[in-house]
Amino acid sequence: MSGDVLLRATDVVKSFQVRGAKMGAKKVATAVNGVSLDVVRGETLGIVGESGCGKSTLARCLVQLLPVTSGSIEFAGTTLTGLSRRQLRPYRREMQLVFQDPYASLNPRRTVGDIVADPLRINRFGTSAQIDQRVKELFETVGLDPSYVRRYPHEFSGGQRQRIGIARSLGLNPSLVVADEPVSALDVSVQAQVLNLMSDLQDQLKLTYLFIAHDLGVVRHVSDRVGVMYLGQLVELADADSLYDEPLHPYTEALLSAVPQLNDGTEVPRERIVVSGDVPDPAQRPGGCPFHPRCAHASDECRRTDPALVQIRPGRSVACHHPLAPTTTRKDTP
Amino acid sequence: MLRVRDLSVSFATRQGLVRAVDGLNLDVGSREVVGIVGESGSGKSVAMYSLLGLVRDANASITGSVAFEGREILGLSDKAMQPLRGGQIGMIFQDPMTALTPVFTVGWQIVEQIRQHTDMTKAQAKDRAVELLAEVGIPDARRRVDSFPHEFSGGMRQRVVIAMALSCNPRLLIADEPTTALDVTTQAQILELMGRLRDTHGSSIVIITHDMGVIAEMADRVTVMYAGRPVESGPEVDVVRSPRHPYTWGLLGAVPRLGQRSERLATIPGNVMSPLDVPEGCAFAPRCDYAMAACARRPLMIGGTHEHACWLSDDQRVAIRSNTKVPS
Repeated sequence: MSGDVLLRATDVVKSFQVRGAKMGAKKVATAVNGVSLDVVRGETLGIVGESGCGKSTLARCLVQLLPVTSGSIEFAGTTLTGLSRRQLRPYRREMQLVFQDPYASLNPRRTVGDIVADPLRINRFGTSAQIDQRVKELFETVGLDPSYVRRYPHEFSGGQRQRIGIARSLGLNPSLVVADEPVSALDVSVQAQVLNLMSDLQDQLKLTYLFIAHDLGVVRHVSDRVGVMYLGQLVELADADSLYDEPLHPYTEALLSAVPQLNDGTEVPRERIVVSGDVPDPAQRPGGCPFHPRCAHASDECRRTDPALVQIRPGRSVACHHPLAPTTTRKDTP
Repeated sequence: MLRVRDLSVSFATRQGLVRAVDGLNLDVGSREVVGIVGESGSGKSVAMYSLLGLVRDANASITGSVAFEGREILGLSDKAMQPLRGGQIGMIFQDPMTALTPVFTVGWQIVEQIRQHTDMTKAQAKDRAVELLAEVGIPDARRRVDSFPHEFSGGMRQRVVIAMALSCNPRLLIADEPTTALDVTTQAQILELMGRLRDTHGSSIVIITHDMGVIAEMADRVTVMYAGRPVESGPEVDVVRSPRHPYTWGLLGAVPRLGQRSERLATIPGNVMSPLDVPEGCAFAPRCDYAMAACARRPLMIGGTHEHACWLSDDQRVAIRSNTKVPS
């Protein structure tokens, strides 16, 4: 991996105790199961997967909102896992989150100006006049009228609220913004506005994004590299173009083929591969490869051993015993 | 099969009259899938609810005409509507969690609906419920029929809702954002299922969505709505490939594509407007890049099979589209 690694996760595991079927019985649900990844400074790393695949849990672990069960997370060379709350504080400014639901993530009883000012106050950004000034700047940065600071969240539309959430995340000049489904609650026209805003901010402020979404079109649009998660594991990691042009993991292929296409002549039609069934319960993960019960290519090996995520050529990693042959490879070329 | 003419639904509110649906025309032929697309607040759901007499607000006023199989159904009494609702017209609601009651098993809920509309015995209806659950792809249906809604995943619950909507072999199925709450893989399964139903049961389907992709996948014809008004309507292929209304251009341009990565998405400036502020003229004019003086008057739907409500001339439209079209 070239470039300056801003965030490195090594073998991160997060499990939760859940209640079992019988009273008193305890089960362990492993939401994130050994994820290793690097986020390079200045890039956008997209993470896609279905609901329940552990992508949000991973995001919360990466920014230390949830303690990891095992594994380590490094930010700009410092290991964060194991640090105390006090020791973590300087790093928290550097890593900010934008949440999915702009209705639930803003306190309805506080003005939006206060909401955006909170991180500044907590981190003693400056005098209250300086903070007011900064809040106004932030409103302008995200394309909101600074005169709105005294209004309450309910006075804003979904897209405007998400801009407020973004303004709040930018106050302390973070280097990494983790966006957890930032546009999935928005209408498509508003979604496009917010995506364009995020891309402008990345250029202006030299931000690094970890962008989590279930919409493959959105992830493709914003990401330089994309990781595909299934049942708590990364099953494929590649730069966005190659992932979309020639998926190597059967799950990636199925996900891509499930996206409804417009057929307006701008897209290459894909053959629909419908995977049967649902994502398994993370408390009862299948043995071997987590995808094998739904996979058309599953063999005995897949049922026995869980494939590791291995790099098969620079910039392309896949966790599969039988990766798909790249469609662009021609057998007749020497 | 279904013929809607000049349907308008308005609500008297303290702030003034809200026209949620304003002059909607819709024709659904036998075995046809018709899509209604628009953003939140464009009136698409209210329009469908009003067809079934489900708009019960005392402040609502519904005008126009809705003919189902040649018979006027708008304004029918609840009693007269009963055999239609859930019987000849099935409805699939957006959120499968709220469409099912959590306190009864799914089997009980399907049986209740079947018994309401047919004279089957309880045992017959139960068998039919198992059959339906198996048909919509729920594994081990015989056992699952006695499960409660919370014991199913989102995709499985939506299948239950579909099974329920199908229980009386409806001639017309109205699906309100049937896949919006679901993952893409599950969405693909559900869309395939609905397509199969059209083929096997011969039902007509009206599908309401904000996702142009779903429309392209499913619909034969599509009506685009904005602020309660239809702005474009025609065969799916024509609307998706050669959209005529600037709002449709915006909707299509804002969709990030898998196949190509453009630097910026086309956006529609501003927000969906408050239904209180819809202007007299073209509703879209305040957000339209091509608004002109003529837009102060309300455009009518014109253009034969592929209709649109816009004052731009064909020449202007061609000129605009050839300039802005993203090279592919």
